This record gives sequence, structure tokens and C-alpha cells, in this order.
Amino acid sequence: MKKVTIDPITRLEGHGKIEIFLNDDGNVANAYLQIPELRGFEKFCEGRPVEEMPRIVPRICGV
Amino acid sequence: MAKLKLALYWAASCGGCDVAVLDINEKILDVAALADIVLWPIALDFKYHHVEALPDGAIDVTLFNGAVRNSEQKELALLLRRKSKVMVAFGSCAYTGGIPALANFHNEQEIFQRVYLETPSTDNPQKIFPQIKTKVPEGELELPSFYDTVFTLDQVVPVEYFVPGCPPTVDIILKVVNALATNSLPPVGAVIASDKTLCDECTRKKENKKITKIYRTHEITPDPERCLLEQGLLCMGSATRGGCGALCVKVNMPCRGCFGPPPGVTDQGAKMLSALASIYDAQEEEGLARLLKEVVDPAGTFYRFGMAKSLLRRKRPATTEVGTR
Repeated sequence: MKKVTIDPITRLEGHGKIEIFLNDDGNVANAYLQIPELRGFEKFCEGRPVEEMPRIVPRICGV
Repeated sequence: MAKLKLALYWAASCGGCDVAVLDINEKILDVAALADIVLWPIALDFKYHHVEALPDGAIDVTLFNGAVRNSEQKELALLLRRKSKVMVAFGSCAYTGGIPALANFHNEQEIFQRVYLETPSTDNPQKIFPQIKTKVPEGELELPSFYDTVFTLDQVVPVEYFVPGCPPTVDIILKVVNALATNSLPPVGAVIASDKTLCDECTRKKENKKITKIYRTHEITPDPERCLLEQGLLCMGSATRGGCGALCVKVNMPCRGCFGPPPGVTDQGAKMLSALASIYDAQEEEGLARLLKEVVDPAGTFYRFGMAKSLLRRKRPATTEVGTR
């Protein structure tokens, strides 16, 4: 099966990759959007002072 | 002069550095006149294979923002290094680890456990975690491997210049652009900002007073004229490189150190501890014990932006080498 890879997807905030699989007729059999990115704010914000959150979580997305 | 070839890339970052480049407003036209951009995912539709197709050394300058925390980001750092004459660690994350390096208090397993199982909004009864390779009916999908440790750019590839800031300020970005335009780059290894501390450029009054208590920011309303540290607020100014224009302290917020350590200082947190020890009125052990209690989150505060670059680098056990899990 033929695979078309779009990597990276552009002109948006964040990282993404699209894999498109084509069948023998050249039509799309399936497509997958993947996010090859994680930083782990959910974990490393734990235990930090609450008053510091407004200065940490804006860095989730700065766009 | 022939037009320069310029690449801008983001690794473990928030996109704030890319937007900061746009914050130079109409001067972006000078950048466009000066350089052809060959990669800038946030703004232009170049793919990784376009970069791979360039001859080695074909890119004059890469402004690389974001820390390196997975295998894809490391591969892009290596690729762009090979293709670029000059590599710039652009912004706090690439320079010192930045906010993403707060994850160096944890490892992959702890982060995955929290993110994919425990958060209140997660519903994952089959306990599915991201896989490096996944078989699907049509073939195979691949994701980067997630490292235990977040790295700075210069821990992964050689870097010519460092531009601090979360994000770098417009003035500093223009300094970089002008240096490129006039071919007057500083000596290799330079940090493009002030050579003094933030304290040196802060206009608040210092009275060389000892402090007897550390306050959290919500506990007092600081005097807008006086040094924040001398009012008991943990301001990182004396342990931080200047050049930002004292933006936070001007609005009564203590500095959190995003410009990294000042010249000659290896470990920003150790420098801050030393500053605190000299100003805190604690002669006896009891006083020191009180100080330690009053600082709510010492590691997360003193290494807010610099954990990856610090002597600590990560919470022990430090079993991870660059390029391995």
C-alpha cells in the first residue's frame, strides 16, 4: 500500500504529521493524524505554587 | 550581497519565540529583504524533506527554539546543524531548557502515567500509551521516542550563539538581525544580551537591608520603588543576565530568571541561593531552617527556566545519556 507522509504540517501552532495510505486504485484507504510532541505540563505543574501557574502555563502555547 | 538562507525551527517549545520574531513588526520586511527562509513551520510550508535535499552547509543561519526532549527534535537538531553554517539557540528553552525542562524533575514513566492515565479529563480504560511503532491495518505508524531528560540545544549539537529570553525581546531580535545584515556577528559562543545582571539594569532602590521573611507574591503588595528581594519577594535578578529591559520587575513581578545565569556564573540556582543566604537575616541554624521553610518551591523557582543547563540537570538517578532513553 502506498503511503503519503506530510511532515510537518505547517502554519499552525504545534507539531503534527499526517500519514495517508492509498489503495491499489490510488484512492485514500485511511489517513492518520499524529502529534509527535508532548512536554508534560500535566506532571511538572504538580506541587508548584499556585500563584506561579500564571507564569508557567502560558508556555503551553505562546502563539 | 547574495541573500542569506535562514531557517527557523521549533522543538519542545510553545511557539512564543516564533511569534516574537513577528513582533518586530515592519522590520520583518528587512528580514525578508535580507534572507530567503528555507524552513519555518509556523509560517511557511516547507517540509523536512526540503531541508534534507539541501547541500550540507547551505543554510547560513538557523534560529532554533525549543528544548530537545524527544528523538524527532534531536534528529532535526542534527539535520539543521549539518545544513547550517551558524546555529543559534534561540530563546530560553533552546539555551537553558526553559519551562519544558521542569520535566527533569520526573521521568518518562511518571509523565506518561499522569498525562495518559491520571488526569481528571482522561478516559483510558485500556491504558493505551503512545507507541514508537504502531501496526495499523494499512501499515505501520511511527512516533518519536520520548526521552527521560530534556536537553538544551548545545547538549545535542555544537551551537555558535545563544539568544536568551522567554521569549527573546524585540530589541534583542533586532540586534541579531542587524548583526546578520551587517555581517558583524560577535565571537562564537556569545550570549546575545547584556553582559551585566538584571539587578544592574533594574531602577528600583536598594537599601542593603537584611530580610527576615520570604513572602509569596500574593501575600504582600510590594512598594513599586524598592528592590523586590529586599521586600522579601524571591526575585532572581541578581542571578540572572540582564538585557530584557527589566520587564517583569517594572510591573511589580519578581524576576524568574528566563535570561539564564549572568556571565561567569555556571549555575543560576546556586547563585540565587548564595544571594539569598547573604541577604536573609539568619545567623543560627534555626533561622536557616525558617528560610528553607519559607521558600515554597526552591528547585522549581531557582531553576524555573534553567534546569537542563544547571549542574543538577535532572532529578537523580541521572542514568540518561544524550541520544538514549
